[in-house]
Amino acid sequence: MDTGKTERSYAREFLKSRSGVVGLVLLVLLLATSLYVAIAIPQSEAYKWDNPSVWTNNPAAVPPSWVNYFGVDAPQTASFTLQGWSGSSSSSGAAYSSSVAIDWNHAVTPSNIVLTPNFSGTAYELEVLWTKPDGNTVQVSLSSPVSGTSYTLSYTPINQALGQYIQTQTKSYLSEVSPAQELAALFNRDGPGILNGSVQQGSYSATVQIVGATGLSVSTSSVSLVGDSYGTMGTDSFGRPIELGVLAGLPWALELGIIASLISVIGGIIWGGLAGFYGGWRDKVMSWGTLVILAVPGLAFIIAISYSIQLTLLNEALIIAALSWPGFAIISRTVTLSIRAQAYVEADRAMGISSTRTFFTHFLPRLTPVTIAFTALSISGVIILGETLSFLGIGPGNVITWGGILNAAITFDASLHGWWWWTLFPGIMIVVASMPFVLVGFALDRVVAPRVTAK
Amino acid sequence: MGYARFVIGKTISYALALFAAVSLLYVGIYPTLQKVIEGSADEAASDFQRNLVKNHSGLTVAQITQDVATFKASYLAAFGFNQPFPIKFALQMVNLFEFHLGSAFFLQAPNGSKQVIDIIIAYLPNTIVLFTTGTLLVVAVGAIIGLLAAKSAGGKLDRTVPIIAVVHSSIPAFWIGFILIAYFAYSLNVLPSGGISSVPPPTGILPSFVDFLAHLTLPLLSFFIVSVGGFAYVVRSLVVSTMGEDFVTTARARGMSERRMLFKHVLRTASPAIATQTILAVAGSFGGAIVLEVVFRWPGLGFLTFAAIGQNDLPVIIGSTFILTIILFLGLYIGELTYGFLDPRIKAGE
Repeated sequence: MDTGKTERSYAREFLKSRSGVVGLVLLVLLLATSLYVAIAIPQSEAYKWDNPSVWTNNPAAVPPSWVNYFGVDAPQTASFTLQGWSGSSSSSGAAYSSSVAIDWNHAVTPSNIVLTPNFSGTAYELEVLWTKPDGNTVQVSLSSPVSGTSYTLSYTPINQALGQYIQTQTKSYLSEVSPAQELAALFNRDGPGILNGSVQQGSYSATVQIVGATGLSVSTSSVSLVGDSYGTMGTDSFGRPIELGVLAGLPWALELGIIASLISVIGGIIWGGLAGFYGGWRDKVMSWGTLVILAVPGLAFIIAISYSIQLTLLNEALIIAALSWPGFAIISRTVTLSIRAQAYVEADRAMGISSTRTFFTHFLPRLTPVTIAFTALSISGVIILGETLSFLGIGPGNVITWGGILNAAITFDASLHGWWWWTLFPGIMIVVASMPFVLVGFALDRVVAPRVTAK
Repeated sequence: MGYARFVIGKTISYALALFAAVSLLYVGIYPTLQKVIEGSADEAASDFQRNLVKNHSGLTVAQITQDVATFKASYLAAFGFNQPFPIKFALQMVNLFEFHLGSAFFLQAPNGSKQVIDIIIAYLPNTIVLFTTGTLLVVAVGAIIGLLAAKSAGGKLDRTVPIIAVVHSSIPAFWIGFILIAYFAYSLNVLPSGGISSVPPPTGILPSFVDFLAHLTLPLLSFFIVSVGGFAYVVRSLVVSTMGEDFVTTARARGMSERRMLFKHVLRTASPAIATQTILAVAGSFGGAIVLEVVFRWPGLGFLTFAAIGQNDLPVIIGSTFILTIILFLGLYIGELTYGFLDPRIKAGE
C-alpha cells in the first residue's frame, strides 16, 4: 500500500473543506495562545486566584470596560499618586500633607475608593479632606494608620465618618451605611436629598495629611477611584478579572483534552479493532467488555471516585480516558469487520502470515486516519467533560478552570444579579477551545471515513 | 423465536455487564465506601442506644454499652467487616443490589427520612421525567431533521445539519442552561428560572400541570439544543449512505416514488444502525442531562449529587452513582431490545 500517496491525497481533500481549514487556523491560534498563556501566566497566579485579599483593590462584579462604547457610563479605575509631600519633622513631631486634583466627569460614582499611604516611622493620625466641585468638604480621620495598607470605604472609621456626614445633610438617623451611600456622600450634590441626588461633575480634590512622631517620612502614596468597569471581560464578585481566569484556564483544558483523547481513542481503536479482527468468542467477550464501560455513567463515576483519589491533571485524564473509549471501539470494530471481508486479508491468511501480524500490517494502518479524526472530535468532548466536572466542583485543586468560574457564578447568583459577563466569557471560552477540534474532526471524518458511520 | 433468543441472550449479557460495572465502581470507591459503612453503623448504633435507654429503663449503663457494641458489631458483620476481601466484596455487593445504601450524613428526604434509598426515591422520578422526555424529543425530532436533510441532499437543510452538529459537539449543556435562564427568565421574564414548581404551588390539576410544564421547558430546551444536532447528523449520514446502495438505485429505476422509497426501503434498512446510534447518543447525553438539573435546580439525582458534593455527603454520592448506573443500563437495554426488534436479521433468527 502506498501510504505516502494516500496521505497526500487526504491532505488535499481536507484542504478542500472550508470548515476544516477554518478549524485548522483556529486550532493553530488556540495552541499559540495556550503556549503564550503557559509562559506569561505562571502557576502562582492560580494560588492568588483563590485568595480574596489579593483582589480587594479591584472593582467587584463590574462589566467589561468596552460597555462604555455602548452608551453605558461605566468609568474605569483611576489611580492618583500623592507626592511632593510638604511639611516637616521637628523634635516635637512631624506633619506632612499632599493634595491631588481629581476630575470626575461621569454621571455615576466610582464603585469604591482606596487610599494607600506609604511612610516610614510612626504615624498618629491620617486626615483626608475631600473637596467637592461646589466647595463643600468632607473630612475623615484615621488614627494610627499602617503604611502600605489599602483603606477602603468598608473600613469602619471611614464608614462612620461618612455616615455622620450623611446625617448632617439629611438630618435623619441612619443605622447602617452602605458603600453606595458612602459614595453618594462623597460625590452627590449636598442637601437633604444627598442619597438620591445626582453626581457633581467637575474638579474634586483630596488633601491627605499625616501627623506622626519625630522621624516620620512619607513617600509616594496613592488614592484610587475604583471604577465601574474593568478590562475586557469584567470582574466577578471578588474583584477577580474574568479575563485572567479565561486565559489561565486554556492550557489546562487543552492538556486534559489532548492527553485523555489520545489514550482513549488509541485504546478504543485497538480494542475494537482486535475484537472485530479475531471474531468468534473473543469478539463476543471483548464487545461485552465494551458494553460494560459504555454503560457506566462517566460523570457520576468520576465524581464518586474523586473522593477516593486526589485528582491531578494526569490521573483525571486517565480516568476520563478509561471511561470514554467504548464509542471508538464500537466504530473501529465495524470498520475492521468491513476490512476483513477484503481479498488481501485472505491472501495473507493463505500465505500463512500470523494473524496478529496481519492486524498490525493491514488493519492498523487503515484505522490510523479514523483514529486521527476521532482524536480531534474526542478532544472537544473531553474538554467539555472536564469543565463540567469542575463546574460541579470536582477536579484538581489550585487550577483555574472555566467550569470553576461558572461554578462560582451560579453560587453567587450571577444571572439573578444581571452579571452576564461572569457567565458569558468562560462559557464562550469553552466553545472557542472545543470548536476548532470539532471542525477539524468533522472535516477529517468526511475525508478519511466517508462510510464509517454507515455500517 | 429468533427474537426471543435475542432477548434472552441480551438480558444475560446486560445483567452480567451491570454486575461488572458495579464491581468497577466498587473498586473505585472502596476506601470511601468503608468509611461510609462505618458512619452508617455508628448512626444506627446511636439510634439503637437511644431506643434502648427510652424503652428499657431497667438496664444498667454497662449492659447498654455492651448491647450497643454487639449491635454495631453485627451491623458491620452484615457488611463483611473483619472478613477476607472476597467475602467482604460479596456481602457489600449484595447489600448494594438490595439497595441498602446506608444513611445520609446531612441530607434528608422530604418525608424526613435519612436513608439514602428514601432520599433517592424522592428525587429519582424527576430525573426520569426530564431524561426520558428529552431523549424521546431528541430522537424524534433528530430523526425527522436527519431524514429531511438526507432527502434533499445538498439543500439548505442539509447544509445546516453539520452546523448544528458542530454546535452539539462544542457547547456544554450546562452553559446553554445559563444562557437560556439569563434570556428567558431574567431578561424576558416569561419562564421560571429553575425549580420544579412555583412557590406557593398553584392549586388544581390543570394549573399545576401547566406550572410543571413551564418549569420543564427550559431544562428540556437546553437538553434538546445540545443533543439534537449530533443525532440528526448521524441519521443524515446513515440515510445518505444507504441511499447510495444498489437496491435503492434499482428501486428508483423501477420508478418508485422518492417518498415511498425513503420510508419503505431506506429507513427500514438504516433503522438498526440508527438504533445503535441512539444507544450511543443516550449514553453520551446522560451526563449533560444530570448537570442541567444543577443549573435549573431541577430536583433530580443530578441536583441531589451536586448538593451532596457541596456537603461532602458521601453515602448520597455513592448511592446516586449506583442508581444512575442502573438507570443508564436500563436505558441502553431498552435501546438494544428495540434495535433487535427493528433488525430483520435478528427476527429471522440469523
